[in-house]
Amino acid sequence: MEDAYGSLPSSHLLGSVPAVIPPNEKPENKEGATASMQMFPPGNGGYRAPGSSNVGDEQPATSWAGVFSISSYTPYFNVDTDVVVDRLMSSVYPLRGDFFSKIGANPDLYAPVWISTTLVFMLAALGNCASYLMKKKDPSHQWLFDVAYFNWSAGVVYGYVLIVPAASYFLLQYLGSNGSLIRLWCLWGYSLFIFIPASLLLVVPVEVFRWVIILLAGSASAGFISLNLRTYTEGHDLMVWVVSVFLLQFFLAILLKVLFFA
Amino acid sequence: MSHSDTIPLHPSSQSDIDEIENLINASVQSGPATVLPARPPSPPRASIPISSSPFIASNLPPPTYQKPPTAPGPTTPAVIPVSDSRPSPPDPLDSVWDTVKRDLSRIVSNLKLVVFPNPNREDPGKALRDWDLWGPFFFIIFLGLTLSWSASVKKSEVFAVAFAVLAAGAIILTLNVLLLGGHIIFFQSLSLLGYCLFPLDVGPLSLIVVTITLVWSSWAAYPFMSAAVGPRRKALALYPVFLMYVSVGFLIIAI
Repeated sequence: MEDAYGSLPSSHLLGSVPAVIPPNEKPENKEGATASMQMFPPGNGGYRAPGSSNVGDEQPATSWAGVFSISSYTPYFNVDTDVVVDRLMSSVYPLRGDFFSKIGANPDLYAPVWISTTLVFMLAALGNCASYLMKKKDPSHQWLFDVAYFNWSAGVVYGYVLIVPAASYFLLQYLGSNGSLIRLWCLWGYSLFIFIPASLLLVVPVEVFRWVIILLAGSASAGFISLNLRTYTEGHDLMVWVVSVFLLQFFLAILLKVLFFA
Repeated sequence: MSHSDTIPLHPSSQSDIDEIENLINASVQSGPATVLPARPPSPPRASIPISSSPFIASNLPPPTYQKPPTAPGPTTPAVIPVSDSRPSPPDPLDSVWDTVKRDLSRIVSNLKLVVFPNPNREDPGKALRDWDLWGPFFFIIFLGLTLSWSASVKKSEVFAVAFAVLAAGAIILTLNVLLLGGHIIFFQSLSLLGYCLFPLDVGPLSLIVVTITLVWSSWAAYPFMSAAVGPRRKALALYPVFLMYVSVGFLIIAI
Protein backbone atom coordinates (compact mmCIF):
# COMPACT_ATOMS: atom_id res chain seq x y z
CA MET A 1 0.00 0.00 0.00
CA GLU A 2 1.27 3.42 -0.78
CA ASP A 3 0.65 4.43 2.81
CA ALA A 4 3.71 2.43 3.81
CA TYR A 5 5.83 4.75 1.73
CA GLY A 6 4.95 7.56 4.04
CA SER A 7 7.46 6.15 6.46
CA LEU A 8 10.34 6.49 4.05
CA PRO A 9 12.60 9.48 4.70
CA SER A 10 11.75 11.03 1.36
CA SER A 11 8.10 11.52 2.25
CA HIS A 12 8.66 15.17 2.99
CA LEU A 13 9.44 15.69 -0.67
CA LEU A 14 5.93 14.84 -1.75
CA GLY A 15 4.01 17.88 -2.76
CA SER A 16 7.01 20.06 -3.36
CA VAL A 17 6.49 19.96 -7.14
CA PRO A 18 2.73 20.16 -7.52
CA ALA A 19 2.54 20.09 -11.28
CA VAL A 20 4.03 16.64 -11.66
CA ILE A 21 2.05 14.82 -9.04
CA PRO A 22 -0.26 12.30 -10.67
CA PRO A 23 -3.81 12.82 -9.55
CA ASN A 24 -4.06 9.76 -7.38
CA GLU A 25 -1.26 10.64 -4.99
CA LYS A 26 -1.85 12.63 -1.87
CA PRO A 27 -0.57 16.17 -2.24
CA GLU A 28 0.50 17.04 1.26
CA ASN A 29 0.08 20.58 2.42
CA LYS A 30 2.93 20.47 4.86
CA GLU A 31 1.73 22.92 7.44
CA GLY A 32 2.91 20.71 10.19
CA ALA A 33 4.37 17.34 10.90
CA THR A 34 1.12 15.76 12.03
CA ALA A 35 -1.57 14.45 9.74
CA SER A 36 -3.10 17.40 7.97
CA MET A 37 -6.82 17.71 7.50
CA GLN A 38 -6.21 18.33 3.80
CA MET A 39 -5.04 14.80 3.28
CA PHE A 40 -7.31 11.99 2.49
CA PRO A 41 -7.02 9.05 3.06
CA PRO A 42 -5.14 9.60 6.28
CA GLY A 43 -1.57 8.44 6.24
CA ASN A 44 -0.56 8.46 9.88
CA GLY A 45 -0.83 4.73 10.13
CA GLY A 46 2.44 4.38 8.29
CA TYR A 47 4.47 6.05 11.00
CA ARG A 48 3.59 7.00 14.51
CA ALA A 49 4.17 10.72 14.92
CA PRO A 50 5.14 11.40 18.51
CA GLY A 51 2.21 13.68 19.12
CA SER A 52 -0.44 11.47 17.62
CA SER A 53 -3.02 10.37 20.09
CA ASN A 54 -5.07 7.24 19.77
CA VAL A 55 -7.89 8.37 22.00
CA GLY A 56 -10.69 6.77 20.10
CA ASP A 57 -8.71 3.75 19.09
CA GLU A 58 -9.75 0.75 21.10
CA GLN A 59 -9.32 -1.66 18.23
CA PRO A 60 -5.92 -3.11 17.40
CA ALA A 61 -4.58 -0.71 14.77
CA THR A 62 -2.76 -2.29 11.90
CA SER A 63 0.53 -0.56 11.71
CA TRP A 64 0.91 -0.52 7.96
CA ALA A 65 -2.16 1.34 6.85
CA GLY A 66 -3.81 4.30 8.54
CA VAL A 67 -6.81 3.63 6.36
CA PHE A 68 -7.94 0.83 8.62
CA SER A 69 -7.39 2.51 11.94
CA ILE A 70 -10.32 4.32 13.47
CA SER A 71 -8.18 6.83 15.25
CA SER A 72 -6.95 8.29 11.99
CA TYR A 73 -10.51 9.22 11.05
CA THR A 74 -11.45 10.73 14.39
CA PRO A 75 -10.32 14.27 13.44
CA TYR A 76 -13.01 14.33 10.76
CA PHE A 77 -15.72 13.71 13.33
CA ASN A 78 -14.61 16.27 15.83
CA VAL A 79 -17.84 18.22 16.05
CA ASP A 80 -20.46 18.84 18.66
CA THR A 81 -24.21 18.85 18.27
CA ASP A 82 -24.55 22.61 18.18
CA VAL A 83 -21.86 22.96 15.52
CA VAL A 84 -23.60 20.45 13.29
CA VAL A 85 -26.99 22.09 13.78
CA ASP A 86 -25.51 25.47 12.97
CA ARG A 87 -24.00 24.18 9.74
CA LEU A 88 -27.23 22.47 8.79
CA MET A 89 -29.21 25.64 9.22
CA SER A 90 -26.75 27.59 7.13
CA SER A 91 -27.02 25.06 4.31
CA VAL A 92 -30.65 25.98 3.77
CA TYR A 93 -29.88 29.60 2.83
CA PRO A 94 -28.35 29.59 -0.63
CA LEU A 95 -27.35 33.20 -0.83
CA ARG A 96 -24.75 33.55 1.87
CA GLY A 97 -21.69 31.91 0.38
CA ASP A 98 -19.82 31.74 3.68
CA PHE A 99 -19.95 28.01 4.23
CA PHE A 100 -16.25 27.47 3.96
CA SER A 101 -15.49 30.04 6.59
CA LYS A 102 -18.02 28.28 8.79
CA ILE A 103 -16.22 25.02 8.31
CA GLY A 104 -12.93 26.70 8.97
CA ALA A 105 -10.27 24.27 9.99
CA ASN A 106 -12.75 21.65 11.11
CA PRO A 107 -14.61 20.10 8.21
CA ASP A 108 -16.66 17.18 9.38
CA LEU A 109 -17.70 13.98 7.70
CA TYR A 110 -20.38 13.15 10.24
CA ALA A 111 -23.06 15.23 8.58
CA PRO A 112 -22.43 14.10 4.99
CA VAL A 113 -22.56 10.46 6.07
CA TRP A 114 -25.75 10.77 8.07
CA ILE A 115 -27.50 13.25 5.82
CA SER A 116 -27.01 10.95 2.85
CA THR A 117 -28.07 7.90 4.85
CA THR A 118 -31.18 9.71 6.07
CA LEU A 119 -31.92 10.82 2.55
CA VAL A 120 -31.56 7.27 1.22
CA PHE A 121 -34.01 6.01 3.76
CA MET A 122 -36.49 8.87 3.32
CA LEU A 123 -36.50 8.66 -0.45
CA ALA A 124 -37.18 4.94 -0.39
CA ALA A 125 -39.80 5.15 2.34
CA LEU A 126 -41.58 8.27 1.15
CA GLY A 127 -41.35 7.17 -2.46
CA ASN A 128 -43.29 4.10 -1.48
CA CYS A 129 -45.78 6.22 0.46
CA ALA A 130 -46.18 8.50 -2.54
CA SER A 131 -46.84 5.63 -4.90
CA TYR A 132 -49.30 4.22 -2.38
CA LEU A 133 -51.22 7.50 -2.31
CA MET A 134 -51.24 7.68 -6.08
CA LYS A 135 -52.51 4.13 -6.37
CA LYS A 136 -55.25 4.86 -3.89
CA LYS A 137 -56.79 7.21 -6.36
CA ASP A 138 -56.97 4.36 -8.80
CA PRO A 139 -58.38 1.42 -6.85
CA SER A 140 -57.91 -1.12 -9.62
CA HIS A 141 -54.16 -1.17 -9.06
CA GLN A 142 -52.71 -3.38 -6.38
CA TRP A 143 -50.05 -1.52 -4.43
CA LEU A 144 -46.96 -3.46 -3.51
CA PHE A 145 -44.04 -2.32 -1.47
CA ASP A 146 -41.12 -2.02 -3.79
CA VAL A 147 -37.87 -2.86 -2.08
CA ALA A 148 -35.98 -1.87 -5.20
CA TYR A 149 -36.51 1.74 -4.12
CA PHE A 150 -33.89 1.18 -1.44
CA ASN A 151 -31.38 0.00 -4.00
CA TRP A 152 -32.07 2.93 -6.28
CA SER A 153 -31.92 5.55 -3.58
CA ALA A 154 -28.75 4.13 -2.07
CA GLY A 155 -27.12 3.99 -5.47
CA VAL A 156 -28.11 7.47 -6.55
CA VAL A 157 -27.45 9.31 -3.30
CA TYR A 158 -24.28 7.60 -2.19
CA GLY A 159 -22.91 7.53 -5.71
CA TYR A 160 -23.57 11.21 -6.20
CA VAL A 161 -22.16 12.35 -2.89
CA LEU A 162 -19.05 10.22 -3.23
CA ILE A 163 -18.20 10.59 -6.88
CA VAL A 164 -19.03 14.17 -7.78
CA PRO A 165 -16.86 15.81 -5.11
CA ALA A 166 -14.04 13.38 -5.87
CA ALA A 167 -14.26 14.19 -9.56
CA SER A 168 -14.32 17.89 -8.73
CA TYR A 169 -11.28 17.45 -6.56
CA PHE A 170 -9.31 15.81 -9.34
CA LEU A 171 -10.48 18.44 -11.76
CA LEU A 172 -9.28 21.17 -9.42
CA GLN A 173 -5.94 19.48 -9.03
CA TYR A 174 -5.61 19.18 -12.77
CA LEU A 175 -6.46 22.80 -13.28
CA GLY A 176 -3.82 23.76 -10.79
CA SER A 177 -5.81 25.19 -7.93
CA ASN A 178 -5.57 23.47 -4.61
CA GLY A 179 -8.71 21.96 -3.22
CA SER A 180 -9.35 19.84 -0.17
CA LEU A 181 -11.27 16.66 -0.75
CA ILE A 182 -12.71 16.65 2.77
CA ARG A 183 -14.12 20.14 2.38
CA LEU A 184 -15.69 19.22 -0.92
CA TRP A 185 -17.30 16.13 0.56
CA CYS A 186 -18.48 18.21 3.48
CA LEU A 187 -20.02 20.81 1.19
CA TRP A 188 -21.82 18.33 -1.02
CA GLY A 189 -23.06 16.42 1.99
CA TYR A 190 -24.58 19.49 3.58
CA SER A 191 -26.10 20.54 0.29
CA LEU A 192 -28.25 17.42 0.33
CA PHE A 193 -29.87 18.42 3.59
CA ILE A 194 -32.56 20.51 1.97
CA PHE A 195 -33.85 17.48 0.08
CA ILE A 196 -34.90 15.86 3.34
CA PRO A 197 -37.75 18.24 4.18
CA ALA A 198 -38.44 18.52 0.45
CA SER A 199 -39.00 14.79 0.20
CA LEU A 200 -41.49 15.01 3.05
CA LEU A 201 -43.45 17.55 1.08
CA LEU A 202 -43.19 15.56 -2.13
CA VAL A 203 -45.46 12.88 -0.72
CA VAL A 204 -48.48 15.05 -1.47
CA PRO A 205 -50.00 13.47 -4.57
CA VAL A 206 -50.54 16.69 -6.48
CA GLU A 207 -48.29 16.79 -9.50
CA VAL A 208 -47.99 20.55 -9.82
CA PHE A 209 -47.16 20.92 -6.16
CA ARG A 210 -44.47 18.29 -6.46
CA TRP A 211 -42.81 20.05 -9.35
CA VAL A 212 -42.88 23.38 -7.57
CA ILE A 213 -41.30 21.87 -4.47
CA ILE A 214 -38.57 20.08 -6.32
CA LEU A 215 -37.72 23.11 -8.42
CA LEU A 216 -37.43 25.26 -5.31
CA ALA A 217 -35.36 22.71 -3.44
CA GLY A 218 -33.19 22.00 -6.44
CA SER A 219 -32.40 25.62 -7.07
CA ALA A 220 -31.74 26.31 -3.39
CA SER A 221 -29.35 23.40 -3.16
CA ALA A 222 -27.63 24.15 -6.44
CA GLY A 223 -27.33 27.80 -5.53
CA PHE A 224 -25.84 26.91 -2.18
CA ILE A 225 -23.19 24.73 -3.74
CA SER A 226 -22.22 26.98 -6.60
CA LEU A 227 -22.07 30.18 -4.58
CA ASN A 228 -19.84 28.57 -2.02
CA LEU A 229 -17.64 27.05 -4.66
CA ARG A 230 -17.29 30.41 -6.28
CA THR A 231 -16.03 31.98 -3.06
CA TYR A 232 -13.82 28.95 -2.48
CA THR A 233 -12.08 29.17 -5.81
CA GLU A 234 -11.74 32.93 -5.84
CA GLY A 235 -8.90 34.07 -7.99
CA HIS A 236 -9.21 31.26 -10.45
CA ASP A 237 -11.51 31.52 -13.38
CA LEU A 238 -13.49 28.35 -13.01
CA MET A 239 -16.89 29.69 -13.89
CA VAL A 240 -17.57 26.92 -16.35
CA TRP A 241 -17.06 24.35 -13.70
CA VAL A 242 -19.20 26.22 -11.16
CA VAL A 243 -22.04 26.45 -13.64
CA SER A 244 -21.78 22.77 -14.46
CA VAL A 245 -21.92 21.94 -10.74
CA PHE A 246 -25.05 24.03 -10.50
CA LEU A 247 -26.65 22.19 -13.38
CA LEU A 248 -25.57 18.82 -12.02
CA GLN A 249 -27.19 19.48 -8.65
CA PHE A 250 -30.33 20.65 -10.36
CA PHE A 251 -30.33 17.55 -12.48
CA LEU A 252 -30.05 15.47 -9.32
CA ALA A 253 -33.15 17.14 -7.94
CA ILE A 254 -35.11 16.36 -11.09
CA LEU A 255 -33.83 12.80 -11.05
CA LEU A 256 -34.99 12.31 -7.47
CA LYS A 257 -38.42 13.56 -8.33
CA VAL A 258 -38.72 11.37 -11.39
CA LEU A 259 -37.37 8.21 -9.81
CA PHE A 260 -39.20 8.28 -6.52
CA PHE A 261 -42.17 10.57 -6.79
CA ALA A 262 -43.45 9.97 -10.28
CA MET B 1 -0.84 -11.04 37.28
CA SER B 2 -3.77 -9.36 38.95
CA HIS B 3 -3.57 -5.90 37.57
CA SER B 4 -5.75 -3.82 39.79
CA ASP B 5 -3.02 -1.25 40.08
CA THR B 6 -2.33 -0.65 36.41
CA ILE B 7 -3.62 2.12 34.19
CA PRO B 8 -7.32 2.48 34.90
CA LEU B 9 -9.19 1.36 31.86
CA HIS B 10 -12.82 1.59 31.10
CA PRO B 11 -14.47 -0.88 33.47
CA SER B 12 -15.98 -3.00 30.75
CA SER B 13 -12.73 -3.37 28.89
CA GLN B 14 -11.00 -4.18 32.16
CA SER B 15 -13.19 -7.21 32.54
CA ASP B 16 -12.29 -8.51 29.10
CA ILE B 17 -8.63 -7.99 29.76
CA ASP B 18 -8.99 -9.67 33.14
CA GLU B 19 -10.52 -12.67 31.47
CA ILE B 20 -7.77 -12.94 28.91
CA GLU B 21 -5.13 -12.65 31.59
CA ASN B 22 -6.82 -15.25 33.70
CA LEU B 23 -6.97 -17.68 30.85
CA ILE B 24 -3.31 -17.11 30.21
CA ASN B 25 -2.60 -17.60 33.90
CA ALA B 26 -4.63 -20.73 34.00
CA SER B 27 -2.67 -22.21 31.15
CA VAL B 28 0.65 -21.24 32.63
CA GLN B 29 -0.05 -22.50 36.09
CA SER B 30 0.39 -26.18 36.63
CA GLY B 31 -0.37 -28.66 39.36
CA PRO B 32 -3.53 -29.72 41.07
CA ALA B 33 -3.35 -26.97 43.64
CA THR B 34 -4.79 -24.55 41.14
CA VAL B 35 -7.74 -26.55 39.96
CA LEU B 36 -10.45 -24.06 39.18
CA PRO B 37 -14.02 -24.94 40.06
CA ALA B 38 -16.41 -26.16 37.44
CA ARG B 39 -18.39 -23.35 35.93
CA PRO B 40 -21.84 -23.06 37.42
CA PRO B 41 -24.55 -22.36 34.89
CA SER B 42 -26.34 -19.72 36.97
CA PRO B 43 -27.22 -16.31 35.52
CA PRO B 44 -26.69 -13.99 38.51
CA ARG B 45 -22.99 -13.81 37.83
CA ALA B 46 -23.57 -10.72 35.72
CA SER B 47 -24.34 -8.65 38.80
CA ILE B 48 -20.97 -9.25 40.42
CA PRO B 49 -19.08 -6.04 39.80
CA ILE B 50 -15.77 -7.34 38.56
CA SER B 51 -16.47 -10.80 37.34
CA SER B 52 -18.14 -12.21 34.34
CA SER B 53 -18.08 -15.44 32.46
CA PRO B 54 -15.63 -15.87 29.64
CA PHE B 55 -16.78 -14.30 26.47
CA ILE B 56 -15.28 -16.90 24.21
CA ALA B 57 -17.78 -19.16 22.55
CA SER B 58 -18.55 -22.06 24.73
CA ASN B 59 -17.45 -24.63 22.19
CA LEU B 60 -13.85 -23.46 22.14
CA PRO B 61 -11.49 -25.86 23.88
CA PRO B 62 -10.24 -24.47 27.17
CA PRO B 63 -6.55 -23.87 27.67
CA THR B 64 -4.57 -26.82 28.96
CA TYR B 65 -4.94 -27.14 32.66
CA GLN B 66 -6.03 -29.79 35.10
CA LYS B 67 -9.68 -30.60 34.53
CA PRO B 68 -11.80 -30.83 37.64
CA PRO B 69 -12.62 -34.46 38.41
CA THR B 70 -16.41 -34.09 38.16
CA ALA B 71 -17.96 -32.10 35.38
CA PRO B 72 -21.16 -30.43 36.60
CA GLY B 73 -22.07 -29.25 40.03
CA PRO B 74 -20.53 -26.33 41.86
CA THR B 75 -17.62 -27.30 44.04
CA THR B 76 -16.02 -25.19 46.69
CA PRO B 77 -13.52 -22.87 45.08
CA ALA B 78 -9.98 -24.15 45.30
CA VAL B 79 -7.00 -21.88 45.57
CA ILE B 80 -7.51 -19.36 42.85
CA PRO B 81 -4.46 -17.48 41.56
CA VAL B 82 -6.27 -14.18 40.97
CA SER B 83 -8.25 -11.99 43.24
CA ASP B 84 -11.74 -12.56 41.91
CA SER B 85 -14.09 -15.47 41.86
CA ARG B 86 -14.58 -15.90 38.14
CA PRO B 87 -15.86 -19.32 37.15
CA SER B 88 -13.68 -21.49 34.96
CA PRO B 89 -13.97 -21.86 31.22
CA PRO B 90 -16.47 -24.48 30.11
CA ASP B 91 -15.60 -28.12 30.53
CA PRO B 92 -15.31 -29.78 27.12
CA LEU B 93 -17.05 -32.86 28.43
CA ASP B 94 -20.26 -30.88 28.92
CA SER B 95 -23.07 -32.35 26.98
CA VAL B 96 -24.52 -30.39 24.13
CA TRP B 97 -27.59 -29.76 26.18
CA ASP B 98 -25.54 -28.20 28.96
CA THR B 99 -23.89 -25.88 26.50
CA VAL B 100 -27.14 -24.88 24.91
CA LYS B 101 -28.75 -24.37 28.29
CA ARG B 102 -25.88 -22.17 29.38
CA ASP B 103 -26.04 -20.03 26.26
CA LEU B 104 -29.79 -19.71 26.52
CA SER B 105 -29.59 -18.62 30.11
CA ARG B 106 -26.99 -16.06 29.16
CA ILE B 107 -29.23 -14.72 26.43
CA VAL B 108 -32.11 -14.44 28.86
CA SER B 109 -30.02 -12.68 31.46
CA ASN B 110 -28.65 -10.22 28.94
CA LEU B 111 -32.13 -9.58 27.68
CA LYS B 112 -33.34 -8.82 31.16
CA LEU B 113 -30.47 -6.42 31.71
CA VAL B 114 -30.84 -4.53 28.52
CA VAL B 115 -34.46 -4.42 27.63
CA PHE B 116 -36.30 -4.46 30.88
CA PRO B 117 -36.10 -1.82 33.60
CA ASN B 118 -33.65 -2.77 36.27
CA PRO B 119 -31.24 -0.84 38.49
CA ASN B 120 -28.12 -1.95 36.59
CA ARG B 121 -29.11 -0.02 33.51
CA GLU B 122 -27.77 3.15 34.99
CA ASP B 123 -24.27 1.81 34.82
CA PRO B 124 -23.82 0.74 31.23
CA GLY B 125 -20.36 -0.67 31.72
CA LYS B 126 -21.61 -3.08 34.30
CA ALA B 127 -24.76 -4.03 32.52
CA LEU B 128 -23.63 -5.93 29.47
CA ARG B 129 -20.38 -7.39 30.76
CA ASP B 130 -21.43 -10.82 29.73
CA TRP B 131 -22.20 -9.91 26.18
CA ASP B 132 -22.71 -12.51 23.53
CA LEU B 133 -23.66 -12.45 19.88
CA TRP B 134 -26.08 -15.39 19.83
CA GLY B 135 -28.96 -13.33 21.10
CA PRO B 136 -28.59 -10.58 18.53
CA PHE B 137 -28.11 -13.19 15.82
CA PHE B 138 -31.34 -14.94 16.68
CA PHE B 139 -33.27 -11.70 16.87
CA ILE B 140 -32.02 -10.41 13.56
CA ILE B 141 -32.72 -13.69 11.79
CA PHE B 142 -36.14 -13.92 13.38
CA LEU B 143 -37.03 -10.41 12.34
CA GLY B 144 -35.80 -11.02 8.81
CA LEU B 145 -37.78 -14.23 8.54
CA THR B 146 -40.93 -12.59 9.88
CA LEU B 147 -40.67 -9.78 7.39
CA SER B 148 -39.98 -12.11 4.53
CA TRP B 149 -42.87 -14.42 5.41
CA SER B 150 -45.33 -11.58 5.51
CA ALA B 151 -44.09 -10.05 2.28
CA SER B 152 -46.15 -11.03 -0.70
CA VAL B 153 -43.48 -10.71 -3.33
CA LYS B 154 -39.70 -10.58 -3.48
CA LYS B 155 -39.39 -12.46 -0.24
CA SER B 156 -35.70 -13.13 -0.48
CA GLU B 157 -34.96 -9.55 -1.31
CA VAL B 158 -36.95 -8.40 1.69
CA PHE B 159 -35.02 -10.71 3.96
CA ALA B 160 -31.76 -9.53 2.47
CA VAL B 161 -32.61 -5.88 2.94
CA ALA B 162 -33.76 -6.43 6.51
CA PHE B 163 -30.71 -8.43 7.47
CA ALA B 164 -28.33 -6.03 5.75
CA VAL B 165 -29.90 -2.96 7.32
CA LEU B 166 -29.77 -4.46 10.79
CA ALA B 167 -26.34 -6.00 10.64
CA ALA B 168 -24.66 -3.16 8.80
CA GLY B 169 -26.59 -0.71 10.91
CA ALA B 170 -25.28 -2.13 14.15
CA ILE B 171 -21.72 -2.03 12.89
CA ILE B 172 -22.05 1.49 11.55
CA LEU B 173 -23.64 2.77 14.73
CA THR B 174 -20.76 1.41 16.74
CA LEU B 175 -18.26 2.98 14.38
CA ASN B 176 -20.13 6.23 14.69
CA VAL B 177 -19.71 6.25 18.45
CA LEU B 178 -16.05 5.41 18.16
CA LEU B 179 -15.47 8.12 15.58
CA LEU B 180 -17.15 10.71 17.76
CA GLY B 181 -14.48 9.97 20.32
CA GLY B 182 -16.65 7.79 22.48
CA HIS B 183 -15.60 4.83 24.53
CA ILE B 184 -17.39 1.65 23.75
CA ILE B 185 -16.33 -1.88 23.05
CA PHE B 186 -17.16 -2.91 19.53
CA PHE B 187 -18.73 -6.29 20.18
CA GLN B 188 -20.42 -5.15 23.33
CA SER B 189 -22.16 -2.47 21.34
CA LEU B 190 -23.12 -4.89 18.58
CA SER B 191 -24.54 -7.17 21.20
CA LEU B 192 -26.43 -4.34 22.82
CA LEU B 193 -28.01 -3.10 19.63
CA GLY B 194 -29.01 -6.62 18.75
CA TYR B 195 -30.69 -7.17 22.08
CA CYS B 196 -32.61 -3.94 21.72
CA LEU B 197 -34.30 -5.48 18.71
CA PHE B 198 -36.16 -7.85 20.95
CA PRO B 199 -39.24 -5.61 21.42
CA LEU B 200 -39.61 -5.27 17.65
CA ASP B 201 -39.48 -9.03 17.33
CA VAL B 202 -42.25 -9.87 19.73
CA GLY B 203 -44.70 -7.12 18.92
CA PRO B 204 -47.45 -8.05 16.51
CA LEU B 205 -47.31 -6.21 13.25
CA SER B 206 -49.59 -3.26 13.47
CA LEU B 207 -48.79 0.42 13.28
CA ILE B 208 -49.49 1.31 16.91
CA VAL B 209 -47.68 -1.65 18.39
CA VAL B 210 -44.69 -1.13 16.16
CA THR B 211 -44.48 2.49 17.22
CA ILE B 212 -44.61 1.51 20.88
CA THR B 213 -41.99 -1.18 20.50
CA LEU B 214 -39.83 1.21 18.53
CA VAL B 215 -39.91 3.68 21.39
CA TRP B 216 -39.15 0.85 23.77
CA SER B 217 -36.11 -0.22 21.75
CA SER B 218 -34.79 3.29 21.60
CA TRP B 219 -35.32 3.71 25.31
CA ALA B 220 -33.41 0.49 25.90
CA ALA B 221 -30.45 1.59 23.84
CA TYR B 222 -30.38 5.17 25.10
CA PRO B 223 -28.37 4.93 28.33
CA PHE B 224 -25.61 2.85 26.80
CA MET B 225 -25.07 5.01 23.77
CA SER B 226 -25.35 8.31 25.55
CA ALA B 227 -22.96 7.26 28.28
CA ALA B 228 -20.35 6.31 25.74
CA VAL B 229 -19.79 9.77 24.26
CA GLY B 230 -19.28 13.19 25.75
CA PRO B 231 -22.36 15.18 26.77
CA ARG B 232 -22.12 17.66 23.91
CA ARG B 233 -22.28 14.94 21.32
CA LYS B 234 -25.04 12.82 22.78
CA ALA B 235 -27.54 13.80 20.12
CA LEU B 236 -25.02 13.03 17.40
CA ALA B 237 -24.55 9.53 18.77
CA LEU B 238 -28.24 8.90 19.38
CA TYR B 239 -29.69 10.17 16.13
CA PRO B 240 -28.38 7.26 14.04
CA VAL B 241 -29.80 4.79 16.56
CA PHE B 242 -33.15 6.47 16.22
CA LEU B 243 -32.82 6.44 12.43
CA MET B 244 -32.07 2.75 12.37
CA TYR B 245 -35.00 1.77 14.54
CA VAL B 246 -37.36 4.00 12.59
CA SER B 247 -36.23 2.45 9.33
CA VAL B 248 -36.63 -1.06 10.73
CA GLY B 249 -40.04 -0.10 12.06
CA PHE B 250 -40.98 1.25 8.68
CA LEU B 251 -39.87 -1.97 7.02
CA ILE B 252 -42.03 -3.92 9.42
CA ILE B 253 -45.09 -1.81 8.77
CA ALA B 254 -44.73 -1.49 5.06
CA ILE B 255 -44.01 -5.07 4.24
